[in-house]
Amino acid sequence: MINRIKQFFERNRFAAILSVIGPGLIAGNAGNDAGGIATYSIVGAREGYGLLWALLLITFALAVIQEMSARMGVVTGKGFGDLVREQFGVRVTLAIMGLFVFANLTVTIAEFAGIAASMELFGVHKYVSVPLSAMVVWLVVVKGNFKQVERFMIGISLVYFTYVVSGFLANPPWKEVARQIAVPHLKMDRDYFLLFITMVGTTVTPYMQFYLQSAVVDKGVRIEEYPIAKYDAYVGAFMTVFIAFFIVLCTGTMLHPAGIVIDSAEDAAKALEPLAGQFASHLFALGLLNASFLAAFVLPLATAYGLSEAFGWESGINKTFSEAPQFLGFYTAFIVIGAGIIMIPDVPLIKIMFLSQTINGILLPIALVIMLRLVNDRSLMGDYVNSRRMNVVTWITVSVLIALTAMLLITSLLFPA
Amino acid sequence: MPFFAGDIFVSEVHRKPVLDQAGEEIGKLTDITVGQSDPFPAVTALVVTSAKHTYLIPWDQVNLFNKRVISANILRDKITAVDIPPSEILICRDLLDKQIVDINGAKLVRVNDLKLGDVNGRMSLIAADIGLRGILRRLGIESRGERVLSLLHYRLQNVLIGWHYLQPVEPKLSKLTLTVSRQKAAQLHPADLAEIISEVSSKERSAIFGSLDVETAAEALHELEPSVQADIIDDMSKEKASDILEQMPPDEAADVLGDLPEAKAQELINLMEKDEAEDVQELLEHEEDTAGGLMTTEYLAFPPDMTVDDAIRELRLEAPDVETVYYLYITDDQERLLGVLSLKNLIMARPETLLQDIMRSPIKTLPLDAEQKDVAEFISKYNLLAAPVVDENNTLRGIVTVDDVVDFLLPPASRKKRRKL
Repeated sequence: MINRIKQFFERNRFAAILSVIGPGLIAGNAGNDAGGIATYSIVGAREGYGLLWALLLITFALAVIQEMSARMGVVTGKGFGDLVREQFGVRVTLAIMGLFVFANLTVTIAEFAGIAASMELFGVHKYVSVPLSAMVVWLVVVKGNFKQVERFMIGISLVYFTYVVSGFLANPPWKEVARQIAVPHLKMDRDYFLLFITMVGTTVTPYMQFYLQSAVVDKGVRIEEYPIAKYDAYVGAFMTVFIAFFIVLCTGTMLHPAGIVIDSAEDAAKALEPLAGQFASHLFALGLLNASFLAAFVLPLATAYGLSEAFGWESGINKTFSEAPQFLGFYTAFIVIGAGIIMIPDVPLIKIMFLSQTINGILLPIALVIMLRLVNDRSLMGDYVNSRRMNVVTWITVSVLIALTAMLLITSLLFPA
Repeated sequence: MPFFAGDIFVSEVHRKPVLDQAGEEIGKLTDITVGQSDPFPAVTALVVTSAKHTYLIPWDQVNLFNKRVISANILRDKITAVDIPPSEILICRDLLDKQIVDINGAKLVRVNDLKLGDVNGRMSLIAADIGLRGILRRLGIESRGERVLSLLHYRLQNVLIGWHYLQPVEPKLSKLTLTVSRQKAAQLHPADLAEIISEVSSKERSAIFGSLDVETAAEALHELEPSVQADIIDDMSKEKASDILEQMPPDEAADVLGDLPEAKAQELINLMEKDEAEDVQELLEHEEDTAGGLMTTEYLAFPPDMTVDDAIRELRLEAPDVETVYYLYITDDQERLLGVLSLKNLIMARPETLLQDIMRSPIKTLPLDAEQKDVAEFISKYNLLAAPVVDENNTLRGIVTVDDVVDFLLPPASRKKRRKL
């Protein structure tokens, strides 16, 4: 009897965890998008295991920031767009949303480019793969309810483990890997440093925080469930960097010793074929497809949520077109434009990627500072404001991130690739 | 008496200089306080901020108030700086950019601008602008924006909602809610009200509930998920909570109480009226997902030797208190179930017929511990609107109505609107 009661409680606790988990996991994984996979592939190919130690720092920074987003969503019941509008007024909101929309649009284009590139490795032409995937992305959100859409995205998130398989297939010298992680070392080299800050910039992006907070609100996570939401944000941050680790491991083991230079994720997949076989190459391409696909959901969603919150339109995945025309309208527009631009022959993709990096670099410091002000506002957060220790940790994290993005911004403006 | 003409948008006077009697600048207009008055909140004072101080200039000391000039009947040196008490309602700080319930549209909207106007000689807050035009005006590019949009053949319209159709959600503002809008809020369909409630934060949700009468609150609560209901009840004063629970059907009330901590639930039951409390108490003893937990104890039961005529008369008296009137159960003096009679059969029968002669017997029943799935299948299989639940002695304990299991029967897509908070 006692056993049965215990079982019941365990089952219910497990159910409770499952009912809250999702937004953090998805937001984190969406950070490993097409651009992220490309960056990690390049990091491994150029520097081998030389930058693995930095991943530990990134995990920490990401976890700290994602937790604050989740906490704000749970406690206030409002998205980041709502809070910015209510606390900072029309002008600030308009400036931030302007940057946000533009940055997200360029990233969305990059995701569809990722879909096109990876499918071409499987021999599917982009005029087939891009419209088809755009259609799926659109239909799932417009026709599905929140629960279904979230489950779908969690399902996609699991496909990221193909990179873990890739990492093991590469059969890296584990002792050497462990040594590289444990002993951080800086190389006084411009390329090395640039790669480091690009890696940070691509892993911590504003859309992840926007999405996380809005999704927590749309999902209706309650304040009693905050401990689970916190766990969700941490697990999401950890998994993101865990996957990134195996990408670096894969290209670092296979491509770096051979001295192969790559400029993109699809280059990496192609370069793997003669060295590791077709299976490894296809696995890598599948990972890229999957990453681009997930982010192609999250970016338009984050934008539609943010805009609807800021301007007071109805929003939510459960809503229909007639209930939330602006929300679903912006979602649709983003997919149409994002996929549409990829269909244009000879699109200057590198320039678009560069632009998106720059705008995100401008937006991130602003968003982080605003976030810290909001999360410390007692009238909003009550007892859930940052503790003093937490503030020290977050301010250091945010300052480092701001300094790094500022450097990335300056170097990329001074020495365009 | 201040002189003002026509309607003014707050954005048109915000941060304008405020002059004293001698034409010296006191500071910039940074906010406006309003007080409670029917039907529109009247302006009580201007908040003027100079480089160093904040001043409150009472409305009767204001001389001119329009888009071009704002002046006061007082000398700059005569005003003393004040700290604004936190209870004061400042329309820029508390309303602008915030969410508010549009009662006609039954949804939450965001306030882009506020309109002031003359109400019986008092400057009052008369409407909120929720449209694009309000945003452009706030940015100071209203006319330019209008010209650009007219090139695109888009006519920029004012989307104004009168104050009497608005219900603030911020707890502090609830005293500004007029009796008119309170009645309007009560007219919202409970499902719409529930939808709005599920979209605001927990603090605001309590404010909205606080402004509703007990009956409306009970109906709106009925539409929400049980765990959310429990949250709301938990936030309310015990007296109001028990009043609302009394208004709800006992099975719903039991569901809500079942999600509360036991001590709190017991406390609320003790505050409820005796009859209601007993029903709820009984229901609480059954597992939530069984027939006993789903059933309601309010049903129609008549003795077998009653005439149709008497039954119809009795039905009229009891109908207001029961959930469904379509089935009349026939029970003996021990409350054992003998048969059932549909409303249709009752109406069609001759007035002097005895119920036992027209009732259907024996009838299918559910045991108290039947699982939700079996209850749903039972109701679906026999095409019932309600199913009787009996204990081991065949005593009628309650009925499960179809609306209690319909969520279980329909695929998820059609119940996606019943959101979790």
